[in-house]
Amino acid sequence: MSSVDMNENIVKVTIDGVELQVTKGKTILQAARENGIYIPTMCYLSKLEPISSCRMCMVEVEGVDGVILSCQEKAVDGAVIKTNTPTIERERQKIVKLYDVNHPLECGVCDKSGECELQNRTLEYGIDRQEFAAREQHRPMRNWGFISYDPSLCIMCERCVRVCNEIVGDEALQISTGGYKSTIVNVKSDDDCAECGECMAVCPVGALVSTDFKYSANAWELRAIPASCAHCSAHCQLNYEVKHESIDNPVEKIYRVTNDFEFSSLCGAGRFGYDFENRASRRDEAAFSRAVEAFERAENIRFSSMISNEEALLLCKIAEKTGANLVCDEAKAYQDFMRAYSRASGRRLYSGDLKRVAKSQSIVVLGTRIYDDAPMVKYAISTAVKREKAQVAYLHPLEDGRIRNIVTSFVKYEVGSEEGVAALLAATLIDRRRAPEKLLKLIDDLDIGYLSAESNVSEEELEEIKSMLWKRRRFTLIAGADLYAHPGAENIAKYLAVIERYSDFDLIIVPPASNTLGVSLICELCEMKEGYTVGYNAPGDFVLSALGDGDLDMPALNQQEGTFTTLEKRVVPTNAALGYEGYELADIAAALGIEMENVVDLTPYLPEERGFRRVEFDSLENGFGIDGSDRRGYELEDALFDSQELPLEPDELESFDGTIIYRCDEKRQFNPFTAKCSQLSAEEAVLKGSAQFAAAAKLEDGERVSFEVDGIHYERVFSIDTSMKGTVALNPTFDIGLSSFAVSSYRFSKAQIKKVGSDDE
Amino acid sequence: MAKVVFSTWRGEEIDNRGKSPEEWVESEFRLPENYDEETRSRAFVGWDGVAIFDENIDAVRLAMEYAAQYQKYSEACGRCTPGRWGGRILYDLLDKIGRGEGAFEDIEHLREVSQTMMLTSKCEIGRTVPKPILDLMDNYKEQFDTCIAEGIKSAEYDEECKYIAKITAPCMDMCPSHVDIPAYIEGVRDMVLTDSLKATRQSMPLAHTCGRVCPHPCEDACRRANLDEPVSIMELKRLGADYETDHGIGFLHPVEPKAPRNDGKKVAIIGAGPAGLTAAYYLGLEGIAVDIYEELPVLGGEVAVGVPQYRMPIEKYNKDIELVTSLPTVNVYTNHRVDAQRLKELDAEYDAVLLAFGTRLSKKIRAQNERADMEGYWGAIQMLDKVNLWNKYAIGSPASNELKDKVVVCVGGGFTSMDVVRCCIREGAKKVIMLYRRDEKTIIRNTTYEEYHEAVEEGVEFIFHSAVERIVDENNKLKKLIVNRYELQPDPDGGRPKLVKIEGADFEIECDWLIPAVSQSADLSILPEEWNLELTSWNTLLTNGRDYMTSRPGLFAAGDCEYGPMTIVNAVGQARRAASVISRYIYDGKVSLTDEEIMEDHLNKLKVYNKNEKISGWMPGIARNVSKKLEADERRSNNLEVNIGFTGEQAIAEAERCMRCYYISMVAV
Repeated sequence: MSSVDMNENIVKVTIDGVELQVTKGKTILQAARENGIYIPTMCYLSKLEPISSCRMCMVEVEGVDGVILSCQEKAVDGAVIKTNTPTIERERQKIVKLYDVNHPLECGVCDKSGECELQNRTLEYGIDRQEFAAREQHRPMRNWGFISYDPSLCIMCERCVRVCNEIVGDEALQISTGGYKSTIVNVKSDDDCAECGECMAVCPVGALVSTDFKYSANAWELRAIPASCAHCSAHCQLNYEVKHESIDNPVEKIYRVTNDFEFSSLCGAGRFGYDFENRASRRDEAAFSRAVEAFERAENIRFSSMISNEEALLLCKIAEKTGANLVCDEAKAYQDFMRAYSRASGRRLYSGDLKRVAKSQSIVVLGTRIYDDAPMVKYAISTAVKREKAQVAYLHPLEDGRIRNIVTSFVKYEVGSEEGVAALLAATLIDRRRAPEKLLKLIDDLDIGYLSAESNVSEEELEEIKSMLWKRRRFTLIAGADLYAHPGAENIAKYLAVIERYSDFDLIIVPPASNTLGVSLICELCEMKEGYTVGYNAPGDFVLSALGDGDLDMPALNQQEGTFTTLEKRVVPTNAALGYEGYELADIAAALGIEMENVVDLTPYLPEERGFRRVEFDSLENGFGIDGSDRRGYELEDALFDSQELPLEPDELESFDGTIIYRCDEKRQFNPFTAKCSQLSAEEAVLKGSAQFAAAAKLEDGERVSFEVDGIHYERVFSIDTSMKGTVALNPTFDIGLSSFAVSSYRFSKAQIKKVGSDDE
Repeated sequence: MAKVVFSTWRGEEIDNRGKSPEEWVESEFRLPENYDEETRSRAFVGWDGVAIFDENIDAVRLAMEYAAQYQKYSEACGRCTPGRWGGRILYDLLDKIGRGEGAFEDIEHLREVSQTMMLTSKCEIGRTVPKPILDLMDNYKEQFDTCIAEGIKSAEYDEECKYIAKITAPCMDMCPSHVDIPAYIEGVRDMVLTDSLKATRQSMPLAHTCGRVCPHPCEDACRRANLDEPVSIMELKRLGADYETDHGIGFLHPVEPKAPRNDGKKVAIIGAGPAGLTAAYYLGLEGIAVDIYEELPVLGGEVAVGVPQYRMPIEKYNKDIELVTSLPTVNVYTNHRVDAQRLKELDAEYDAVLLAFGTRLSKKIRAQNERADMEGYWGAIQMLDKVNLWNKYAIGSPASNELKDKVVVCVGGGFTSMDVVRCCIREGAKKVIMLYRRDEKTIIRNTTYEEYHEAVEEGVEFIFHSAVERIVDENNKLKKLIVNRYELQPDPDGGRPKLVKIEGADFEIECDWLIPAVSQSADLSILPEEWNLELTSWNTLLTNGRDYMTSRPGLFAAGDCEYGPMTIVNAVGQARRAASVISRYIYDGKVSLTDEEIMEDHLNKLKVYNKNEKISGWMPGIARNVSKKLEADERRSNNLEVNIGFTGEQAIAEAERCMRCYYISMVAV
């Protein structure tokens, strides 16, 4: 970029006498904040487009009549701005007074007290008397499940409505306009609202609070432990907030989760599924020595990807010492997939990230029930739809009515035909001017008619996807967990790689579970061998379990420090919210002769050749810059290889007929750890299908059924979901304990469903 | 001019109280002295002041009622702190004074809260509501003081008085359809495009269409222009419609359509263009049975067969049409020509008939030897019919058969002629010339800047200050045109400059086609002669321009056949009003307007937009966003939509430029 271009992108403004150079397009408020100049706000939130309901952020500009809104108005070259003239201060004080009209004086019992923005502003503006009054009104409380709403405390800043719309994409909260009587309403029945808690996180006052947390503690009594969510590969920033359990029990517990809501978000699992710690508190020496023996004789060490990078590395070291195989069912398929991807793309890591998804103008989603599999990816897609008017093609065998508002074309393909669909997408999306001859020949030789017929993706649908690129920029392809264990996974990976390599598409290959990406980078994973198996949060002959149901107890991830590798390709730190008295993996390693004090001593030794950096755990930050820049941990180094393997023509596609079961944990459930949490444990695991599925399987709503998938026997209630269509039912695994971590087959399976208690059982 | 007792309207200071009749000063504004034929107004209160017509007005009650109207408005809003709480406090305090319970410090509090509202409210409505209230408090101080000092109710506090209010905005007032523009822009800003679309459809069913091809008179009345440049109002409209179409969410209506009335009442509409569709939509929403009769095989009128695909893609227009035809009480009959005989039958069969057949006869250019039967002479309407029927519906044959590699001359200067020349380019003509009597500036004013420049980019040759004198043929086949040149001579008396022919500057153009596109007229042959319908001097149907009934009871007319060739938005506005009048007429046989409509007409007369007003509270210098268009090379030889529309980012930035200039006006009667 030449210096002239640079200047065109910079405007000069003066705020309170300080001359600033600001990137063009930034608002006055952003310019001020980035330079440490304070302007008070009530409705503004950095991660949102300006709402401009509170009017607190007004400033004066030389030569401009009246006061102007700094949150919305751009910094214009040459503007001379004052943020705190007597007029402004007087009007700000009056606005806070208006907010205080009939605001109940119940700070003493309000959950928000101590962290209430209205309380802060009222004190800041020294409001000790009120000359404004309006007639009091009766406004009953509302209970929305996890969230409670008290309209009499609500100041109608609209942050909650905005996050629900602009970030989450749920559109559950709306403003019920009524002037002085305005309130927030939840238009989705409890079942449809994602209950992610974003609304209560951003509420500046005590209007939206956690139903569970209500009246249980004061903000100032809680100690916030900065951490990263363990449940899925987004590993969002959060704080576990802890305090002693009660006046006669000094043991600490987690009371709630908060987060840096100004810049980041959480889903319901992260927000409400926090108390999955292992409460076993004693050091069972006998069990410990049996564990050490078990490791010594084990042929296999089987583990789950609910694990930190450091522990994964430690398992490598143990395996190296004992000669055991390292088995991580969830991560193995992903590791193979990523390696196939790399051979075709010539790079170690995919190119996309969530910031870029949120800025995309066209998005293609393949092979994932995104709403449940990866809430943060879905949030980013929603934001792209809202802000960028993004076109979204969602390719999956199951339509999902919950994302109707963000998807522009649902493309329903046949179960099992993912390889064919990937090939069709490659033929549709690749930029022919960039692709090498050989690839073009391969694509031109594809039997589009056959692939289209077998996958049931019509050429018109492909045309529609192609038309999404017309005159648009910034594209993302999102690939998910249905693909990794597909029989044609290697080929699918290569098709995705060539799309990324020879088009303008970014690619995200969403890691299917918690730290799968980290595990797949750190460990050399193998298939299970015959023989003795130690399971670490996985089934085995000797089981170490953080669920508390194994042969030796282990700390859960909210009781450990370490790092995770996120789908954003970052290494982020987490800390122990709660103590743990029992043995840890490090103790076993030590007993096996691996010298080390703390597991986080391994942080600098994560494999540099896989993109990790040589940095100490204690030097990792876990927050955001004042401009919202991500300062959590560090970004993995990508690497380029001289490799450009091409995909092959897809094999004959397998066809799935009859009733099919799809492995899927919905909404707030990800694994047995979410299932264990007090607020989420009431959720029953059911087999859920459409009325059509019920008819095909000859089932009635509410019937008990049994079936076998992946060698696991399930017995559940069958429930009809009227929003679903087709003959694929959803089967969760969050309730089957550690065995769920050993399931890694292709997510769709044919299954014989029997009625429990019927004759044919 | 209006006779007022007292007025502070738009800064005037008229106080005739206690003066003898001959000393009275009149207001220079067209204030609504009379509410309707029967009713005199007692006072008018608005965003820019008050006007009192009745010397005995109760100013306290008047102020309180105005605050009450704001309360009522804010029930549909209440989305900023000063508006939400301030408005309530304003009303509560005025009511307190009015009922005789006020204190002098309430006056101070009123002033304080007014100050905050005027300075910091989100919408202009919150900023302007205190203005007339303060005017009343200052100028009718004794009434306020009496209530407070003596603790008595104001004179009319317990009286039954009628106060009629209406919300408007300069853009809404200027828009012939009175679309709630700030509301649909707010939907874009909030990123709730469903709300945006519903707001548009309150008075404009053709959101795809008028989000693409409206000449946007509203933008000439955009207050933002007083600060920097007008908001790009028109283009923000299509976002809601595109969202609905892209996401396949089903049609959104401004209100839940009422169940079919099935009471035997029915309305016939002649013509399925913008006017006919609009009337059908608003009658259909009411559950009233409507039959539309359309002569062409396709629905949509001139927007379908006149406006080319590259400006208005038929897939999008069809969505607007489907919105209307999806209503259960709306039926359409295509290929159904209504002639005088048929019209008499329909008139007898239906409770009301709306004529909305447009103007589909091409006018002559008045050259010598101009004959419609000459080979090479092709009326614009017929030519565009052919192009569009083929390109959009594959009916007929491609116009390229006639136009490829040919030389075409079009005589025009308006939108239709622009469509003609740009279609000719796309159909492969070798050379396309537009002859226009006046200059470049005028052609831009008559169409749009974009339209003219896009035509130039595509290769249309414009010859200004010229007119065809004579058409030369050979065996009835067009050969060439003899063209006169003109120049503008200033009028020494300061009037409009005159076009004067330059002697000896004639020139010839050899060409294959001459397409006259100077104007169109209505086909009056459909009107039964014995009805003796009154016509305008331009040979269109005469109505009073308020209720759209012709001189024959039960026969209404809207759109171009009433107004003469005009815009889509004009047709929509007329038809919506006509539908409203018809919805009552078919039951009571009377022609009536609602209070909302009466106020609409009053405000239109008074003029809402004030181009001299100084804007405060907004940062000047934020440039208007311009949407991307296809490059000339990308569009010249096809029918792809030229305007790609705003990106999401542009749309939000543009929506943030809207100053939400809502105003409340109120008449006391």
